[in-house]
Amino acid sequence: MSPISNEARCTSCHAGYGWKDNTFDFTDATRIDCLVCHDTTGTYKKAPPGAGMPDPKVDLVKVAQNVGHSSRKTCGECHFNGGGAEAVKHSDMSRQLLQPERACDVHMGGYDMQCAECHTTRNHRIPGRSSSVPVVEGALDCQDCHGAKPHYGNDILDHHLNRHCENIGCNTCHSPVYAKCKPTKVWWDWSKAGDKNRKPQKDKYGMGDYDPMKGEFVWAESAKPVYRWHGGFFKRVFIGDRIDLEAGVTNIAEPVGSFVDPNSKIEPFKIMKGVQPADAKYGYLLVPHLFPRDKEDKTAYWKHYDWQKAITDGMQAAGLPYSGDYRWVETWMYWGVDHEVMPAGMALSCVQCHESLSGERTCDRCHQDSREVNFKQVAHKGTDFSWMVQQGRDVSHLVGTTDYIDFKALGYKGDPIVYGGRFKKLPMGYKPASAP
Amino acid sequence: MKKRIWFLGLVPVLALLCLVVSAGRAAAAAPSGDELALDPAWKAPDQEAARERAREVVPFVDAVVDECQLCRQQRLRDMGLGVKDIVHSYFLLDSPVIKQREDHYGPVRFMHTKHAAQIQDCAVCHHARPADKAAKETVRCSACHQESFRADTPDRLGLKAAYHQQCIACHRDEAKGPMDCAGCHPKNVPDHKELVKLPANPQPWDVTAECLRCHPGAGEDMLASSHWLWRGHSAYTLDHQKKVIHGKGTTAINNF
Repeated sequence: MSPISNEARCTSCHAGYGWKDNTFDFTDATRIDCLVCHDTTGTYKKAPPGAGMPDPKVDLVKVAQNVGHSSRKTCGECHFNGGGAEAVKHSDMSRQLLQPERACDVHMGGYDMQCAECHTTRNHRIPGRSSSVPVVEGALDCQDCHGAKPHYGNDILDHHLNRHCENIGCNTCHSPVYAKCKPTKVWWDWSKAGDKNRKPQKDKYGMGDYDPMKGEFVWAESAKPVYRWHGGFFKRVFIGDRIDLEAGVTNIAEPVGSFVDPNSKIEPFKIMKGVQPADAKYGYLLVPHLFPRDKEDKTAYWKHYDWQKAITDGMQAAGLPYSGDYRWVETWMYWGVDHEVMPAGMALSCVQCHESLSGERTCDRCHQDSREVNFKQVAHKGTDFSWMVQQGRDVSHLVGTTDYIDFKALGYKGDPIVYGGRFKKLPMGYKPASAP
Repeated sequence: MKKRIWFLGLVPVLALLCLVVSAGRAAAAAPSGDELALDPAWKAPDQEAARERAREVVPFVDAVVDECQLCRQQRLRDMGLGVKDIVHSYFLLDSPVIKQREDHYGPVRFMHTKHAAQIQDCAVCHHARPADKAAKETVRCSACHQESFRADTPDRLGLKAAYHQQCIACHRDEAKGPMDCAGCHPKNVPDHKELVKLPANPQPWDVTAECLRCHPGAGEDMLASSHWLWRGHSAYTLDHQKKVIHGKGTTAINNF
């Protein structure tokens, strides 16, 4: 879906005043909303359907006289609530981050870091590579602060973990589940919308599964990500891009990377899956007009529950022809799990991925047994999810699992300790993985 | 002026729209605004502990051992001192000693263990040991560096100078780490109560105009930013690396 034809609702998260349709003047600096990012009183609020206008109840003088740096509160006002409510879009950001537990996010909960301390802003350009939108104003990486060898001790485990950093993104180990504080939406079927008689059922997290305006939902809490090779780039479908209607699934945003690309690392993602309309003849995704422009609005889906009218209007606003026939297609979006980094002790242990270390033999497969190091202890150091289970999180099915990131799906023949890594043969003991 | 009149006409329409829609949707989308009660006493534990340490003024070390830096480096290595011996991995570089003279910038977050692991030489920063044999081998910067130009140690750097010389010189020599003020410090925002001059009940754009009176550059920057345009460079999108048109306001589509 898109803000086009729905501006008055969507632009309540625009840092400006009055973007209600395509006549908005992007050169008029007086329409900039400084306060939404620089409020420190916590009282500034935009009225949700007001095209970015502030709530009339806000005391603008008081807010203006107390401006300061942006904060988790100001950034979160939009970024924690994308998609209509808390944690709907981002699986790793929610209002919980206003006052997070240390175990949920060590940077914000332990060290009280504000967003702009990592997303260091210059001239109102804010770095960070989003998975969901193409716009970028600079790259940003954990290693910018933590260095290329971020496991700071000098012991055998640190040595191996630092080597892992050449192939694995930090959050693969350090944020082993997403939506760990608040359920996130993982399925949104727009085709089911419109049934005003259907009563929403609550799932085990207390989240509703239906809204007649929006369709059917599935939520996930403390869920295991999927892991993909990612070299930093994304492949995207834009409005007007032809898609394969028979493909079964269309990826609107997917990471680019591969097993044989030295720049690629294994990174965690939430896949947002959904069903949305596509033009049955022209083969592109459609933009429906959802939010009524005014009382006289004759086409908005949320007023008339008529997809045909809503799509005709939306596509006219988008400036693209609509054949008159729509069909429902399944779409996926990969969303990076970049925030909610857990404390070091809660990272995945070696055995959580490497099945070969779960038995009697561990590091002594390659290393001589050493009395100074307890190999078994090293291999099991980290989380096994039992602590999270105690905290009431829905992860009991993950306790004691191994091959957590699914090596075969990533292109390995199996556990790389046994079958070899991406670019190097194992130095000792074993035949190379490619040998007959 | 014409534009403004046009816009003012829009306000009642928008207000009405708010009412109609919010009444209709109250149950469907409870705005996430107020459901999470914020605890005014909430504190981030690591940050609080560091803040506590930064408030301490430790007893002044007036005499240190006269030892060349290489001698000290070798001696500390012989002792086996290293990253594993670090007691506090994180500090806030801040001190009442500095605060009593000036307060323009917030404290610096200092990743002690990270720096130690990269440098692998404790003696670079812990360059002198107290003469007192009972003292610890390494002490914090503020044990030896406090007020500048103290009568008893006139040749010793004050704390602020010691921090700056140590940090900036090493960042320069190693070509790593920030060397500008804002690279390490958050700048304190001046109190705007007297600076901001607005009539009672201003329009939102009156507030913006007042901000721009002193910050015209910020306005120009903002007009070219992605938070304003909702489009911009798509440098990390395959096949579109050179494009500047894409964004949520133009071509992006999602399944939400």
